[in-house]
Amino acid sequence: MSETIAAALEAYLRKRLFARDLQVCGLERIHGGASRETYRFLARYGEGERQVERKLILRRDPPASLIETDRAREFRAYEAFHALGLPVPEPVLLEPDGGALERPFFIMSEIEDAAAASVLAPDPYGPQRDAIGLQFWSVLGRIARADPIALDLGDFDGSTERDACWRNELARWERVIDADEDEPQPIVRAAIRWLKRRPPAPAQKISLVHGDYRSGNFLWSADGGIRAILDWEMAHLGDPLEDLGWALDPLWAHHDPSRPGGMLPRAEAIAIWERESGLIADSDALRWWEIFASVKGAAIWISAAHEFATGRNDDPVNAFSGWYCLAFHNKLLADRLEALA
Amino acid sequence: MSPGPMQILDRSADALAGRIAPQLRTPHLAGTANLIALLMKFSAREMERGAEIRHAENIGMRALFAELAHIVRDGDLRRRLGAAAAEDDASVVLSELDRTNADLKRLLIELHIQVEEAGDRKAERRILKFLSWMASQRAVSIF
Repeated sequence: MSETIAAALEAYLRKRLFARDLQVCGLERIHGGASRETYRFLARYGEGERQVERKLILRRDPPASLIETDRAREFRAYEAFHALGLPVPEPVLLEPDGGALERPFFIMSEIEDAAAASVLAPDPYGPQRDAIGLQFWSVLGRIARADPIALDLGDFDGSTERDACWRNELARWERVIDADEDEPQPIVRAAIRWLKRRPPAPAQKISLVHGDYRSGNFLWSADGGIRAILDWEMAHLGDPLEDLGWALDPLWAHHDPSRPGGMLPRAEAIAIWERESGLIADSDALRWWEIFASVKGAAIWISAAHEFATGRNDDPVNAFSGWYCLAFHNKLLADRLEALA
Repeated sequence: MSPGPMQILDRSADALAGRIAPQLRTPHLAGTANLIALLMKFSAREMERGAEIRHAENIGMRALFAELAHIVRDGDLRRRLGAAAAEDDASVVLSELDRTNADLKRLLIELHIQVEEAGDRKAERRILKFLSWMASQRAVSIF
């Protein structure tokens, strides 16, 4: 399988990089989420007198995707924030039609000697925890502060009206649940009704929302801190508090809910975000977005369970998400709703 | 004594994660094998408690319907709640318990909406407490 992809990729890159001698070496699948197949490889070719070796990452759509996302938008988000100087891999090539590899794909630079934390690992950052935390919440603040229009991302999906963000996002994920729910979800449905009855204040500004900003979705190294923010496939326009609520979700806390993302204490994390974004994390609005985050998570896990149960995507990560993660968010939502009653 | 299915799943998961995964060619394959091993562990626990959890949930939902049906103004829903409250699980086969569980959860959602619309805070708290209990039953530990 890898040999077939390597040969097709080699032929494609020879044309696109004008390098007739280009060779794809060491193509290897790596973990990169359920909504893209991710491979690392080395492209070796001559450029004039020089021999070039580029370590690259291929992100290809799977046969059936967990959540349908637009790889062109993901690629543009990488371009925009890479240009802004945020730690983001350099995007290289985009093929939205995917002819060469049968399915849409894009290629970006590989970040070497860095790794992502496993969501299941306790205390993955060890002695670097506080330094990584400072960087993590600062970068999120900078994403929130950025102007999507100035970054040429103003045509992204989502909301351009500040008072419509919550409604649009809630409707979007409720539609996913409606479509993919294989069994009734009394807790998630109760949470959705709660969110509809108590809308948050309008967004302070429209930002580019990363959509999946959390521990486990960035590469880091002990000596270099955060090297790359990954997985921009759900990026959209909306309320920047949405990303904050998602990043604070206890599912990503590595079993220590007092330290969101397994990094800094909650109050410190929010203070850093406020300082970098220039925005206020109003406690009522943030509570709404945190409950929303668990509903959005549940929607993704319900969808994962559906993909696995129907045989459309038998990646065991879908079974794990539809079981462990959904049970986690159901418990979190039920406890929050009970506490708020 | 022959090994039981839980023991087989549990020990096979240990073998997969401990002996087979480290031999695999790529980190992606090894990671996938480890995740499958974890799912086998979950399945072993579910085999032990799955029927008990579903049966307890079904009993709890029926008790809730018996307790709160009088609040419901919609006559048809009140009748369906009453009928469901009077039933019992006819089978302990997991798929049968799941089917009944899903039917009862659909009714629970309808009841919850009616209670919210009626503004009955006490009944709402009762349902939310039950939902929290149900979620605790279904919580999955990785340790």
